[in-house]
Amino acid sequence: MQIDAESAQASLADIEAVVARLKQSSFYRGTSTVVIMWGVLLGCGYAASSFIPGDARPLWLVINSGGVLAMVGRGLWRRRRGVAFPWRLFAALALFFAFGIMCHYLGHFGRRGSETFWPILFMFGYALAGLWLGYAFIVLGTVVAALAFAGYLWAPWLDLYLAVVAGGGIIIAGLWMRRA
Amino acid sequence: MATSDDIIHQPLRLRIMAALTAGRERGEEFDFARLKSLTQASDGNLGAHIETLERANYVEVERGYQGRRPRMVVRATAQGLRAYKGHVAFLRAIIEGKDEA
Repeated sequence: MQIDAESAQASLADIEAVVARLKQSSFYRGTSTVVIMWGVLLGCGYAASSFIPGDARPLWLVINSGGVLAMVGRGLWRRRRGVAFPWRLFAALALFFAFGIMCHYLGHFGRRGSETFWPILFMFGYALAGLWLGYAFIVLGTVVAALAFAGYLWAPWLDLYLAVVAGGGIIIAGLWMRRA
Repeated sequence: MATSDDIIHQPLRLRIMAALTAGRERGEEFDFARLKSLTQASDGNLGAHIETLERANYVEVERGYQGRRPRMVVRATAQGLRAYKGHVAFLRAIIEGKDEA
């Protein structure tokens, strides 16, 4: 069989492309569980907060703490299987929460503004991460952030709207990533 | 050893072997759907080339069911891995030869 250098180069490039697709697909599949979990938590959180007329912060404290603890548990479980614990991810989460709390304090948001602000903040985090991790995160982040903002402007039942849009959107994205 | 392999050199079969080899190194196994997505091949094309690789004893195919749906798991054999690595080394040697020229 006669193979020239150009053909060999093309074949090696083809191999690299397949391996790159495999890495991205594995990453999507690995993170899809966490993405779906946050979608379920947010969906339940917004649905529940629609029945709480007053301060819903204790509910969100429980939901966010539960989500972070589940991620820590998963990280520790994976570490036992030889996967490095994702310290940077938790540092990024802590920075985002700190940034969000400061903005929230400075912005004096009302309940409607507050409920819209948090998913938008984290969805932009997803979109930002997507610049390095893959376009699925960019699409997920920007679409859900835009829909959340549209809800702030126009949706009469914002909690239920966000339960469907933020929670449902993230779950759908997670299911798509699982099949990638 | 750097050896050219006519069976593996076909573009889709090369992609199949690349995915199976990289997956094996990562402890992953592939069903037909995932292999199709990774190699970006059509059903018929992928099936035909998997059969060619299976006949050459480069892959082993486990056919079963997941629930009621048929499921095909494809794995590279030791012989397939050797042939693939030899072919990749052969391709690299060609390029290095050109660079030296």
